[in-house]
Amino acid sequence: MSKIIAVHSYKGGTGKTLLSVNLAATLAKEGKKVCIFDLDFRAPSLFAILKAPTADFWLNDYLNNTCEINKTLLDLSSRIPGQGKFYSCLANPSTEAIRDMSSKDRKWEMRALGRLLALRETLIKDKGFDYLFFDTSPGLQYSSINAIVAADYVVVATTGDRSDVDGTKRMLQELYNLFEKKTGLVLNKVLDSSMTAKKTEMQNKIKADYQVPMLGIVPCFCEILRAEGNLIFVQDKPDHPFTKIMTEMARRVENDEVV
Amino acid sequence: MIRNDLSNKKPITILEKIEESLEKLNDKIEVMIEIQKNNNGNGNSQRASLSLPDASLDVMTLLSMPDHLRKTAMTICRCERATADQVADQTKRARAVESAYLNQLVIMGYLKKERKGRKAFFFIEKETQS
Repeated sequence: MSKIIAVHSYKGGTGKTLLSVNLAATLAKEGKKVCIFDLDFRAPSLFAILKAPTADFWLNDYLNNTCEINKTLLDLSSRIPGQGKFYSCLANPSTEAIRDMSSKDRKWEMRALGRLLALRETLIKDKGFDYLFFDTSPGLQYSSINAIVAADYVVVATTGDRSDVDGTKRMLQELYNLFEKKTGLVLNKVLDSSMTAKKTEMQNKIKADYQVPMLGIVPCFCEILRAEGNLIFVQDKPDHPFTKIMTEMARRVENDEVV
Repeated sequence: MIRNDLSNKKPITILEKIEESLEKLNDKIEVMIEIQKNNNGNGNSQRASLSLPDASLDVMTLLSMPDHLRKTAMTICRCERATADQVADQTKRARAVESAYLNQLVIMGYLKKERKGRKAFFFIEKETQS
């Protein structure tokens, strides 16, 4: 069943983009038709991670109602093995575009929500996409909340950082619950030793703390840090433990399962 | 005057007219009841929001709405245009309840209402939506 998935977090640096790109690439590797959207208009990063060719049209243009969505899509399927399709829709990284997006008013944001909601019709129903991933900016930004409202499922990335834990808890109660969104929590950058020793105990503690289903725990891998954001990890390192974790998570997202 | 208008019509047409009038009346009563309920609960804040003309139904507004109205408003955001019956299908609440909430959102300026025959459609105004 097709889904729109928003990847969100309370704080920055929790690994939203890493999770978005690698979950999307995993599903594409498995033969699905997937598109990843960069909704982090204040700090666009997907164009650099995906090393995408310069786009003629950006997601900004679609939301500004100056072009249709198909003009903004970049077909990157050749980068992913198998029969799946992997598209991206990027945010314009120019300073001028970032400034422009920061100055939008409430009416514009309301129209942008309408354009995001319309993607279900134009991409999922008409173009046969299986999954749309919205990589959002952290916190309570308009663009992120729009993405959450338009999504069927929210992947919440968090770390063990105290301020992140408190903020994420608040956000779960005051944002996702109010919009009645299905939510899966990913605890990222967990120190490997503590994870292997007490995985079940940790899962139970997190479930009790956050009161939401767990999608998974991702250890802190030095290889990911060393790659400096240059890799679609699941494609470049198919045998790496991180790739296996992403495969498990993608299966859970597909089947609406949790840990 | 009304009697003259209806004198040449078939009984079924007359009954349909009466039903349509009763539905309109019912909608108005539901709105009055809902407003009365909310005024009792919220006092001045509700009265203040009732005066908003063409207010924006953006996500921050959705967040600040009471739960019962948010559910209805989000359904219209998704459907773009729907009757109370269609909204009730999605929210799994009674049609009369949704009708009251939709009419309240119209009064608050977030939605527009248009009658086509016997059906009333609710939508976010085009100029502000796309």
